[in-house]
Amino acid sequence: MTEEHIVTSFDDELRELTDGLIHLGGLAQIALANVEKSLKMNDHDLAKKTIEADKQINALQFELEEMTFNILAKRQPMANDLRSVFSSVKIILFLERIGDMCKGVCKRIAKGDLLNAKSPKTIDALVGLTKDVQNNLDLVLDDYAQGKADNALNVWRSDIKIDSSYASILTAILEDIRNKPEAIEALVPLFFIARYLERIGDQATNIAEVNHFIVTGEVLTDDRKLEAEEETVF
Amino acid sequence: MNDQLNNKSLIQCSNVNVFYADQQALFDINLDIRENEVTSLIGPSGCGKSTFLRCINRMNDVIDICKVEGSISIDNQNIYDPEVDVVELRSRIGMVFQKPNPFPKSVYDNVAYGPKLHGRILHQEDLDRKVEESLERAGLWSEVKDRLHEPGTSLSGGQQQRLCIARAIAIDPSVILMDEPCSALDPIATAKIEELIDELKSKYTITIVTHSMQQAARVSQRTAFFHLGKLIEVGDTEKIFRSPEHEQTEAYVTGRYG
Repeated sequence: MTEEHIVTSFDDELRELTDGLIHLGGLAQIALANVEKSLKMNDHDLAKKTIEADKQINALQFELEEMTFNILAKRQPMANDLRSVFSSVKIILFLERIGDMCKGVCKRIAKGDLLNAKSPKTIDALVGLTKDVQNNLDLVLDDYAQGKADNALNVWRSDIKIDSSYASILTAILEDIRNKPEAIEALVPLFFIARYLERIGDQATNIAEVNHFIVTGEVLTDDRKLEAEEETVF
Repeated sequence: MNDQLNNKSLIQCSNVNVFYADQQALFDINLDIRENEVTSLIGPSGCGKSTFLRCINRMNDVIDICKVEGSISIDNQNIYDPEVDVVELRSRIGMVFQKPNPFPKSVYDNVAYGPKLHGRILHQEDLDRKVEESLERAGLWSEVKDRLHEPGTSLSGGQQQRLCIARAIAIDPSVILMDEPCSALDPIATAKIEELIDELKSKYTITIVTHSMQQAARVSQRTAFFHLGKLIEVGDTEKIFRSPEHEQTEAYVTGRYG
């Protein structure tokens, strides 16, 4: 809906909320890009900077939640406005969780030395997983910024691939632990990193579902998800 | 328009057209109103929602230039059938207006007036019981039981409106029509009326015209949106306020045009 509200300050508030959310999404994207780079380059400094930058995400989360709260109280939005404001609360939380999980990955990178795991293939696979997750996050945030849900089902399908990569990485780490028990201290963090990345993928999927709800007013049902799963061919 | 029936429909309106002289006010309205539910009529001023409400108890009959075409059936009886006794019809349909309008009589007589007029209650003790029961049901009894013989107009605005509701239900109607019943009331009095509407729906079929979208969302199970004399959309209230089918409805409920 492109028409403006009769009360123009309501439009201003909605725009401010949407812009704020896009900004928050941008911070989450930066954190994830830093995760990828830190993993690839074993860059402890960048990992530490990313941990520190999470404070910015948390601060913006509170600001946006307050904004949403005030809009609900003052404007009592209806229909697409209601869907959009209600959904903002959810997306804010998903993005904040992504920030936390990027921080979790970076803590594992900064704490020890991943190279001690002597598993370059697993590191490569984790970098690959990060890229897949990044791609999904980019797609859903682009959708959100454009008020669309075009990529919702694609992201759903692609998350199944992410889950599958995650399972393969876990198997490889377990295999490494069996074969190189002396490297267990460096291998366990890889386990956690894989888990965090898989969870970030889930958050992107959550945002895809919310986008779908904002645009259509309907919840992406399990049937639709099942359809997507059945259509998936690896 | 496909309505999924929950309760059975009590009032069926088919191709209702209303004219004020040459001016058409309503165009081909087809709307079913379900029993024991609250139906809200919403839309910008002049959209025809009050005109439509007044067709349901033939109040438009008193306007000489007003002509109603089509059919409105209550309990499968066309109320525009020439053989219908309008006085009897109105005894089955209570009406509450925008401004509380108690008669210049005592609280007691305001409520007793209808049952006496229709000759339904002959004994004083039965009348006393009916007055108490109606005031009780309107949530007013505890506030006025010691003031029954004071003028109805001495009550507060909110109490007067509940007195009008007690007066409406004293004649045991099956339908209650409300035309912006809270627009002259403060938020507390409004909340009491809304609470009352919620309680009354188990016994009556209620149709309410309201300008407050939030009120429609709070009190009604179904909502009908009118615009320029046409029924644009009717559906479950939740659906209308969450994701309406029509762009015009969405524009109206979100405050994008009036």
